[in-house]
Amino acid sequence: MSHNDTVPLYQSSQSDIDEIENMMNGGFQSGPGSVLPARPPSPIRPSIPVTSSPFVQSNLPPLAPAQKVTPVPVPPAGSGGSEGGKAMGFGSPANTLTEPVWETVKRDVGRIGSNLKLVVFPNPNREDPGKALRDWDLWGPFFFIVFLGLTLSWSASVKKSEVFAVAFALLAAGAVILTLNVLLLGGHIIFFQSLSLLGYCLFPLDVGAVICMLKDNVILKMIVVCVTLAWSSWAAYPFMSAAVNPRRKALALYPVFLMYVSVGFLIIAID
Amino acid sequence: MQAPVENYANPKTCLFHVLFKGAALAFYILSALFFNSFVIIFVVTVLLAALDFWVVKNVSGRILVGLRWWNEINDLGESVWKFESLDQESLARMNKKDSWLFWWTLYLAAAAWFILGVFSLIRFQADYLLVVGVCLSLNVANIIGFTKCKKDAKKQLQQFASQTIASRFQSTVQSAFTLV
Repeated sequence: MSHNDTVPLYQSSQSDIDEIENMMNGGFQSGPGSVLPARPPSPIRPSIPVTSSPFVQSNLPPLAPAQKVTPVPVPPAGSGGSEGGKAMGFGSPANTLTEPVWETVKRDVGRIGSNLKLVVFPNPNREDPGKALRDWDLWGPFFFIVFLGLTLSWSASVKKSEVFAVAFALLAAGAVILTLNVLLLGGHIIFFQSLSLLGYCLFPLDVGAVICMLKDNVILKMIVVCVTLAWSSWAAYPFMSAAVNPRRKALALYPVFLMYVSVGFLIIAID
Repeated sequence: MQAPVENYANPKTCLFHVLFKGAALAFYILSALFFNSFVIIFVVTVLLAALDFWVVKNVSGRILVGLRWWNEINDLGESVWKFESLDQESLARMNKKDSWLFWWTLYLAAAAWFILGVFSLIRFQADYLLVVGVCLSLNVANIIGFTKCKKDAKKQLQQFASQTIASRFQSTVQSAFTLV
C-alpha cells in the first residue's frame, strides 16, 4: 500500500522560495535551456514520501503557516536607497530574490516618496513616531544633502568647492553626532533610522535654499529661512522627543535645532 | 562528448556589476587631469559609488550568487539583519565564473579605494579623503553584508542537511515497521 502523500515530518528550515516555487510550479518541470540560475525549477521538498520514488513534484505539501515570514517592510537598498531604496513593503520575502530589477527600482523609489511624506508633511502616522520611519532608507537623505550642498555651492560666488565640501561634511557629520547624542542620552533609537530621519528633515531647508538662490533679497531670505527652519524642526520634533526620556527632551532637541539654525545661517550668508 | 566550457551565465549583470565600480574608480583617478572643480569630482564619484552599491546589493547579489541582505526594524523597535538565500539546489547550480567575478571584484574595489585613501592621506588632502572614505565605506558595507549572508546560508544548509538525515532515518525505520 503506497500512498502518494508527502508528509513533512519536521519543520523545514528551507527558505520560503521553495514553498512558493512548489506551489507555483505544481507538477511542471521546465527544460534546462529556459532556466535562469536565479530561478531554478527546484521541486525537491525535504519531506519523505512513502512511495518508492524519492522525488515527488510539488504535491502541495501542507506547509505550516507558521513558517511563513510575516510581511515586513522592505529594507533599504543597501543603502540601497535606503538606504537603498530603502525599505518598501512587500508581500513575501521570497519574491525579492527573483523579482525583476525594474520592480526593485520602483519599490525603492516609492519608498523614498513615502518616507518623505511621512516625515515632512502632516499625517496621522506622526502620532506613533517609532512606527512611522520603520522602513528607513538613506537614498533620500543622500539626495537632499547633496542637493543642499550643490545649491549652496551654486549660490556662492567664490570658493565653490569649499562651500560644497563644508556643507556636505557639516550635514553628514552633524547627523551622525546628533544620533550619537541621542544614544548617549540613553535614548532608544536605531542609528540608521535617526540618520534617515535627520536627512529627510532637510527637505524644507532644501526648498528654502532653492528659493534663496533664485531671489537675492535679504529680507525675503530671512523670512524664507525662518519658515523652513521652523518646518524642519517641527518635522524632526516628534521622532526625536519620543526617543528619549521626557526629562531629557530638551537636551536631545536643542542640538538638532542648533544644526538647522547653522544651516539656515549658511543659506542666508551665501552671496 | 566533451562538456562545453562554462561561460558567464549572466554577462549583462556581470557587466553592470563591474561597470559602476570601475567607472567610480576611473573617474576619481582621471578626473584630476580634466576637472578643476572638486564639487564635480565629489558628486559624480559618490553618485557612481552609491549606484554601484545599489546594483550590487539588489541586482548582482541576487542574480550572480543568489544572496540578499537587508536591515529592518521589527515591532519592538529593534534593528534586525535579515538574510535571504536560494536553496541548496540553485546555489549549487550557480555559475562558478559568475560568483568568482562577484567576490573578487568586490574585494579588489575595496582594496583599490583603500590604497587611494592612503595616497590622499599622505598628500594631506582632506576633501579627497572624504570622497574615498564614503566610497570605501559603501564597498565595505556590501562586503560585510554579503559575507554574513553567505555564512547564514551555509548555516541554514547544515541545519537542513542534518534534519534531512535525521528524518530520512526516522521514516525509513517507520516504513520498515509499517510495510505490510
